[in-house]
Amino acid sequence: MSEQAQQKQQQHRLMAAIRQYGGDVADIPFWEGCEQGVFLLHRCNACGRHYWPASRCVEHGDHDMQWVEASGRGEVYTYTVMHRAYTPDKKDKVPFVIAVVQLREGPFYHSNIVDSAHDEVAIGMAVQVVMTPHESGLTIPQFRPADD
Amino acid sequence: MRGKCAIVGLGVTEQGIGIGLEGRELRARAVDLALADAGLPRDAIDGYIRAHVAPEDLRHMGLSPNFSVSMMTGGATPVFAIVAAMALIEAGQAEVVACVYGEAQSAAAITGKPDIVSYGYGYPMLYGLLGAAATHAFHAQRHMHLYGTTSEHLGAVAVTQRDYAVARPGTLGFGKPLTLAEHQASPLITDPLRRYDCTRNTDGGVAVLVTSAGRARSLRARPVFILGAGTGHNIVNWHRGLVYENHDNVAPAKARALGQAGMTLDDIDMAQLYDPFTISPLMQLEAYGVVPEGHGGPFYAEGGARPDGAMPTNTGGGQLSAYYSTGFTGVAEAVLQLRGQAGAGQLHKAETSLVSGHGMNAGVQNTWAHACMILGRNP
Repeated sequence: MSEQAQQKQQQHRLMAAIRQYGGDVADIPFWEGCEQGVFLLHRCNACGRHYWPASRCVEHGDHDMQWVEASGRGEVYTYTVMHRAYTPDKKDKVPFVIAVVQLREGPFYHSNIVDSAHDEVAIGMAVQVVMTPHESGLTIPQFRPADD
Repeated sequence: MRGKCAIVGLGVTEQGIGIGLEGRELRARAVDLALADAGLPRDAIDGYIRAHVAPEDLRHMGLSPNFSVSMMTGGATPVFAIVAAMALIEAGQAEVVACVYGEAQSAAAITGKPDIVSYGYGYPMLYGLLGAAATHAFHAQRHMHLYGTTSEHLGAVAVTQRDYAVARPGTLGFGKPLTLAEHQASPLITDPLRRYDCTRNTDGGVAVLVTSAGRARSLRARPVFILGAGTGHNIVNWHRGLVYENHDNVAPAKARALGQAGMTLDDIDMAQLYDPFTISPLMQLEAYGVVPEGHGGPFYAEGGARPDGAMPTNTGGGQLSAYYSTGFTGVAEAVLQLRGQAGAGQLHKAETSLVSGHGMNAGVQNTWAHACMILGRNP
C-alpha cells in the first residue's frame, strides 16, 4: 500500500472512532498527534491565541490557524466525581473523576485525572498529560499530578 | 414596518453535488462570506438563527396557521419562542402565535432511548462526561471553591422549592415535604450534586398563545403582558475562559429586559429561574444582582427565596419539585401568579415576574443559551 493510501486509511479509522462521540473531522490532526504521543493545540498565528478543539479565532477567523505542539501542562479548573453510571459500560467504573484542565496555553480540556485518589483532586492542582489507549481505538490524553 | 430593516450582507458558498464539505462548514463559510460582503467584523453578529427542518404537528392537531417553524435553543426555547412570537406579530405575519411544548420523557426511558447522551457533547464523552448533572457540577464545584458555598446551601434551594410544591396540587412534590437532612442523606450523583439537587424528567405539554396587546383585551382570559425580554449566550464566557464561574451570560439579557420594561430589579416581585439543578437558580439570583456574587447560598438558607423573602423564587416548586417542562414550568407559574390563580401558593404581591430559560450549548458543554423576560399583570 502506498504511503498516501495508508495515511488515508488511518484518517478513515480515526474519523470513524471520533464520529461515535460527535467528533469533528477538523480535529483529525490532533488525534494523529495523540497516537504519536504529541499533544497539539490549534493556534491562531495572527494573535497567538490557542484553541481546543479546532476553532476559528474569535478575532481572525481561519486566516492563519495551525496545529502546534503544546506543553501538556495545566491546572484543574473544576471537576466532578461521577457516582452515577448513566450507561451500562460505566457500571463497574464509577466513581471516577472528570476534570476541566486549564492548559498552560489557555484552553480548557475535559479529561480524567488518573494516578491520584479522588479526595486528592482539587481545584488548582498542577497536572500533566499522559497518553492512554481508549476502547474506541483512539489514544486519548488523560492527566495526572505534575512531577514538579 | 416598511423600510425599518434591510439585508446588508450576503454569503453564498459553493453550491452543488458532492462538494465534500459538511453542513457546519458550509454554514461557517457562508457566514464568513456574508461578513466580508457587509464589511462587518466577526463580533458584529449579535443574533444567530440556525434554520433547520423538523417534522410538523399541524395535520395531527387540525391547525391551519400561515406558518410553522421549529426552534431549538434548549431550555431557553420557551422564552425565546415567546420573543420570536412577538416579533412575528410586530412584523405583521401573525395575530396569535402558539408556543408549544410536549414531550414524553418517561416513555423514552421505557423504550430505552438514550436521551441522556443528547446532553453529552463530543470528546468529553470519551472521558465519561454524560448527562447535564455533571456539567452543572462543574459550576457548583467552582462556586464552592470561590465563595465557600456548601452542599447545605444547595439543600436550602431544594427544600425551599419543595415547600412551594407541597401546597400545589398536580406537582411531583405535592404533599411530600423534604427536609435538609433528607437532602444531605441523598446519594451523590455527580459530586457535589446529590439526588435532591437534580430534577427528574417528566412527561407533559405546555402551550402559550401570544397576541397583540390590543387583541388581548378582547379575549376571555386576563392578559399577562410581556414587558421586556433579553438574551445572552455563555459562549462569550467560553472565549474569555470564564464559562464555569458564569452559569449563564445574564448581563446583556438583564439589561435589555429591564431597559425595555423601564424597570429596575426593585420593580420585580418574583423570579421564575430555570432550574435543572439547585445550583442554577442560586447562581442566577447572583447574576441578576438580587444578591451579591457568592451570596446565593446564604440567601436561600436565610429564606430570601421564600414567599416573604426579598425575591420569592420558583414559587410553584420549579422544575426541581413541580415538573420539568424544559423552561415552560417557570412561564406557566408566572402566568398563574400574575393572574391571581396560584391557589394556596398565591403571593400577596404579584404584579411582575422575571422568567428565565437556559440550556443547549454552542459546541462545548457549559456554553448555555439564556433568555429572560419580564411579565406583568398590567401593561
